[in-house]
Amino acid sequence: MKLLLVEDEALLRHHLATRFAEIGHVVDAVDSAEEALYRAAEYHHDIAIIDLGLPGMDGLDLIRQLRSMDRTFPILILTARGNWQDKVEGLSSGADDYVVKPFQFEELEARVNALVRRSSGFVQAQISTGPLVLDLNRRQATVNGDVVPLTAFEYRILEYLMRHHQQVVAKERLIEQLYPDDDERDPNVIEVLVGRLRRKLEAAGNLRLIETVRGQGYLFTGPCR
Amino acid sequence: MMRSLRSRLVLSAAVFAALVILALVPALQSVFDRTLEEVVQQRLAADASTLIGAASVVDGRLEMPERMPDEEFNLPEAKLLGYVHDAEGRVIWHSRSTAYQELHYLPFYSGNRVEFLRIRDRTGSEYYVYDVEVQLSEHELPLSFVTMLPVSEFAPLQRDFTQRLRLWLGGGLLLLLALLWLALSWSLRSLKGVRRELQEIESGSRDRLSDQHPYELTRLTRSLNGLLDSERLQQTRYRDSLADLAHSLKTPLAVLQTVADNLRGTPDGGEQARVLQDQIERMSQQIDYQLQRASLRRSGLVRHRAALQPVVNRLTAALGKVYRDKTVHLETQIPRGTTLPMEEEALLELLGNLLENAYRLCLSRIRISARALPEGLELVVEDDGAGVPEDQRLRVIGRGERLDTSHPGQGIGLAVVQDIIESYQGRLSLGDSSLGGAAFRVWLPSEVRR
Repeated sequence: MKLLLVEDEALLRHHLATRFAEIGHVVDAVDSAEEALYRAAEYHHDIAIIDLGLPGMDGLDLIRQLRSMDRTFPILILTARGNWQDKVEGLSSGADDYVVKPFQFEELEARVNALVRRSSGFVQAQISTGPLVLDLNRRQATVNGDVVPLTAFEYRILEYLMRHHQQVVAKERLIEQLYPDDDERDPNVIEVLVGRLRRKLEAAGNLRLIETVRGQGYLFTGPCR
Repeated sequence: MMRSLRSRLVLSAAVFAALVILALVPALQSVFDRTLEEVVQQRLAADASTLIGAASVVDGRLEMPERMPDEEFNLPEAKLLGYVHDAEGRVIWHSRSTAYQELHYLPFYSGNRVEFLRIRDRTGSEYYVYDVEVQLSEHELPLSFVTMLPVSEFAPLQRDFTQRLRLWLGGGLLLLLALLWLALSWSLRSLKGVRRELQEIESGSRDRLSDQHPYELTRLTRSLNGLLDSERLQQTRYRDSLADLAHSLKTPLAVLQTVADNLRGTPDGGEQARVLQDQIERMSQQIDYQLQRASLRRSGLVRHRAALQPVVNRLTAALGKVYRDKTVHLETQIPRGTTLPMEEEALLELLGNLLENAYRLCLSRIRISARALPEGLELVVEDDGAGVPEDQRLRVIGRGERLDTSHPGQGIGLAVVQDIIESYQGRLSLGDSSLGGAAFRVWLPSEVRR
């Protein structure tokens, strides 16, 4: 998934961006609210992690602005003080959860995963349609209990499509899920990856779940739970 | 010492007015007496003139008519007395009414033609005496024509005057005092206005004093406003710098935390990571705890009251969001309009920490209730979680204790709760809930002593 990280402390930002990238997420890491607003307007993020104590425009204002721009992705706030005044203000401004600094990365990751899962309407850490089950924690797909061998990119595309099942997903959105920067964009890669994914699912259980909508993108047809 | 300004002013004004009026009584009385004597003198002079007019000297002897032109000299019961003395002082004529008198008056031939004086008879009765020396013809010795009236004749008049004087002056004094009271009340109303506004400031419903006060008070109200503004500014600055301090201390800790995370991943780093982790947590807890304590100091001028229900609503909305996956059934039993004698921020921290515990540890039910007690208010937060075993309860509400270690850096909650409650002279206790879990009971006094 694509993650917007807003943290002004360079070391922490770098560390978090690296860790999230290591576990297969695309991270938009920025150091100011202004930059974050620009990125949010340009791309489609699945979640934002926002430090409340930003220089210039602070985290609370950033959250309010994002919400007023109709950005509905879940927002997790990082707060230094951890007092209720800040937490309640953050949550009532539009954030969905908070983590108090310092935190262990696993804690943050768990909260991020829970928020994203919840925002796609899934209660469990698994998304399933028929025999196909996607385990969000293990980051693997199984058909009738057998693991489908997927590359990291294939998994990301499958997860994104299943999260947005019954919706047409543009190729550009899928590219954003794979690459952090604009210059690496190549729509052909998506076609290749989706083609491979289709073949693997067919091989595993004769599943034909991904349709091409000409000129618009892809549609995951299976009803997901 | 008398504490009320109004009582002081009224008392001193009353004493002053009473003294002035007491001094007025003898002055007015003496003016009246002098006027009365002048009137008496004029009357006696007129009567003496009547006598003189009626008298004639024939062959060196005084002759008076049988009937005097003034009836009073003819009546035996008349109060007016008339005498004529010769040069030796012998009475050579007297009016009828003098028959019953035993007066001994000797004219004093001083050469002054007229005398007006008071004399006393043997029984002690006083008389006004008017005495005129007259030479009725040449070569004669002067005769003395004397007219008298008893002083007692004028006593009722004097009594009546004194009575009226006292009545009027007394009434005047009362009226003056009433007017004074009204004038003072009117003037002191502006002080009352200041007092009311101060009460509003103390209760938190007003920020500063208005400009609608008399100019004698504006210096005071301006100083107070300055003090209030500077305290508020100080408070804001203080909180801002605490927030900055937290951010600048906790962010490096978060960076250190990442180092610990990285170390944990290396082959021999496990032990070092554990040590680092412990220290980071200790520092973080200390920072949190001290900053919370510092930010919750009570302000001096304003006596706050925070409404309970809105704070509960804000917190449960926020926590409901965080614990959305857990379907929590929330029950609130808060009497309408319940307020607590504390700052809203302190109440937010107090309840936030208790409620977060409840949300985290409950199975599905939480109850928040408040009830008024004779000398305070009890606030209870209950859940249907596992509860706290009796032997661990004292430890749990102690400083920095955590039974549950799944949330690093968040173990100071109950210590902060305890601190807030103590600073508002309240008590915290932990018991069993009828829901099956823990019941945190907070007792707070209805008024916090300064």
